Amino acid sequence: MNAIDGTDRRIVADEETPPSLLAVVLDTNPHAWAHLSSTLPLSRAIANLLVFINAHLASGNANEVAVIASHLNKAEWLYPTPKSRLSNRAPNGDIEMNGTHREGGSVPDNPNKYRPFSVIESAILKNVASLMDQTSEKNLKATPTTLIGGALSLALSYIAKSTLLHSPVESMSHENPLAHLADAELRTQRTPLASRILIISVSGDLANQYIPVMNSIFAAQRKRIPIDILKLAGDTVLLQQASDATGGVYMKPERPEGILQYLMMGFLPDATARRSLIMPSAGGVDFRAACFCHRKVVDIGYVCSVCLSIFCEPSLPDNLCMTCGSYLSLRSAQTATPALVQRKKKKKKRATGADSATPGGSTPAGSGTPMHA
Amino acid sequence: MSASSSQALEYLELLPRQTHTKLYEQPATALAVYRCMLPHLAKSIVMAMLYMPHPFSVGALNDWFRPSAKKDKEKSLAVLEQLHIIVLKQDANNQRSYELYPGFQRSLRQALQGSGTHRSFGVPANTPDQDKVSVAFLDEYARRKWENILFYMVGSTVGLQTGSRAENEIGNGTITLLKMGEFIQQAHGRVSITRAGFTFVLQETNAQVWSLLIVYLKHAPDLGMQETEVLSFLFMLGSLELGQDYTTSTLSPTQLQMLEDLSAFGIVYRSSKNASTFYPTRLAVTLTSDAGALASAEPISNALTGSSSTRNSSQQGFIIVETNYRIYAYTSSLLQIAVLSLFTKLTTRFPNLVSGKLTKESITRAVKLGISSQQIISYLNSNAHPQMQKQRPFLPPTVMDQIRLWEYEGERVETSIGYLMKEFHSDAEYRDLANYAESLGVLVWRNDSRKVFFVDRVEQISLYLKKKAQR
Repeated sequence: MNAIDGTDRRIVADEETPPSLLAVVLDTNPHAWAHLSSTLPLSRAIANLLVFINAHLASGNANEVAVIASHLNKAEWLYPTPKSRLSNRAPNGDIEMNGTHREGGSVPDNPNKYRPFSVIESAILKNVASLMDQTSEKNLKATPTTLIGGALSLALSYIAKSTLLHSPVESMSHENPLAHLADAELRTQRTPLASRILIISVSGDLANQYIPVMNSIFAAQRKRIPIDILKLAGDTVLLQQASDATGGVYMKPERPEGILQYLMMGFLPDATARRSLIMPSAGGVDFRAACFCHRKVVDIGYVCSVCLSIFCEPSLPDNLCMTCGSYLSLRSAQTATPALVQRKKKKKKRATGADSATPGGSTPAGSGTPMHA
Repeated sequence: MSASSSQALEYLELLPRQTHTKLYEQPATALAVYRCMLPHLAKSIVMAMLYMPHPFSVGALNDWFRPSAKKDKEKSLAVLEQLHIIVLKQDANNQRSYELYPGFQRSLRQALQGSGTHRSFGVPANTPDQDKVSVAFLDEYARRKWENILFYMVGSTVGLQTGSRAENEIGNGTITLLKMGEFIQQAHGRVSITRAGFTFVLQETNAQVWSLLIVYLKHAPDLGMQETEVLSFLFMLGSLELGQDYTTSTLSPTQLQMLEDLSAFGIVYRSSKNASTFYPTRLAVTLTSDAGALASAEPISNALTGSSSTRNSSQQGFIIVETNYRIYAYTSSLLQIAVLSLFTKLTTRFPNLVSGKLTKESITRAVKLGISSQQIISYLNSNAHPQMQKQRPFLPPTVMDQIRLWEYEGERVETSIGYLMKEFHSDAEYRDLANYAESLGVLVWRNDSRKVFFVDRVEQISLYLKKKAQR
């Protein structure tokens, strides 16, 4: 009967899987890749990554990709290539990103390759090559680590921008006779963009970037963007926390040379597929934080009561919190501790003496009921 | 996977294994099948297995899925087996595991890596065309050709005088094809549209293209063409780039012949019959992607079904339906007016607007012609004006219900063609099979006490039974 009286009225459900944007952050730290060169040289990792990106693009018709290199001294776009690269860089070093722009012109036509694939591949390879050319020995000596925080923020901002671009407020064209009747609130596209970030990390010890990375993690958490981690070498507390907090995948393969299979099985399924699959996660996550003063991972630290900044030692300059500037005298907290413990013990003894029993045991019936009766 | 590709999938599923094997020799085809034919979860399975050095054991596969996703998993595996992409094997230790067919595996790997010398993604013309055509021209060309076909079908039924104009343009091959597909029928020299034809007209453009192409495919052997060659050419077309000219010198005779037919549909463009290059139009390049995917760029429905005089970019929906059954359609396209008049009593026409009313008479007339209420509602739904799309559901519920009720007045029995499964030996056997059918989504009706159930597709069930008998 339902079928006849129309009560099973179906609201057209969008069964289609939403297009997904994959932002890959590739750690290009030369120090770390040099260590890996015997098992997995960077060139092979990139070749495998390209196959993975192709697989991602093939998995959904509207899927998009963005690739960022987190290098020694800077985070650099590998794809899409920023428009202003080399030509006119803004004086403050900012790179103008005006969405994806087509860079098909120079790509050779290859009848053996699906064209969207070859466009992306050639762009990435060209940009990696130029990134490596720009790396000087001075840069190499300056730091052994990589700017993962900057790359993460770039990825997040790109995702935010794409999400906006992807669900545009549909504007009426001028010819449309209804244009003046339509009010400002117009239909937005029904399928939102599902984004995720994949960090391919080889560097250890990122504690010196604790604050920017943590901020990125919180931003991603808020925007429901999972951060997946493929940890080829090294070990950092920070990235484990990133994947744990955002519900991403964490994998530390024992054999990095099999990177492609890890990528294909563990990282390719998008948000829709992950609902029906069991994804690997970090397991035991180390939740230790790094202090704000020396960027060291600490077990026990001091926390500012106003802004929750973490410090590893109580000697703050002028007794002011380094982050928020409020008065924070940690030294007194430290010295007072033993005295407090002693006094507590005394109190306890006195309490047990006066009240005959511990609060837990005494309160029940015994004394209470007669008074009421 | 959208509605349009699902009918292509249905067709593809029924092909025999030899055809599949041959099809997957071309990396472009393997990639296209992967991209647009497979359910989402099946894609994950294929990719996980693509570079796996050893077969994927059934136990491991089950562990990979959440228990709640059992139904989706069964469905994905069934599709993959039906398409002969994966096969269930049993090794010496009685371990059962899934394996990709080597042909498919090799082709898909080649497609992703861009290796090999198969040249299956189309060879661009190496000499620059002196009179290169623009994308806008191609869109216009494709739209005109396609609208002519639709108008030919609809116009004759509605009785619009301009029918003769279209007839001259669409060519005899296309008319024959429409007849073969039973979209139209010709009686006493007069062309009239059939029930299947209405389904066809009310679909979205991408689905229409596939419907027509599937008819073409089914009749390819009669025309002396090989089904596989036709199919792989279509998949290749789907992976070409709009606005690029491709050379015809590498095509086989069959494909050259197809090119001629396809240009009659507006799927490819050739400057002349003997031109050495061809351009795929938007109809071609969206073959292997759903129209929704292009919505962000430039919706195919806009480019193709937009009114002919003002082809503006946001002609998404144009119909307003009021709760008093009045319809206002902002259009000046004869085709759209003709389609509307199939089930509406149109009263007034203005330069940019037609208005009318849905009446019992008009709906029952449409139902008699073979249009179902579901088709009418989905047509109104997919063409709802942006103002209508603000509310959910788009159409006033009273109108939707009334259209259904008017239809049901005429027909109280619903038929679905399929197979009745009965005479099970045991309750366990019945339950097992019925539940399997349910998880495949083919179960239409079941009666547990009498141990019978009804399915609309039987291939997977019989395969399952055979496997069970072997064990």
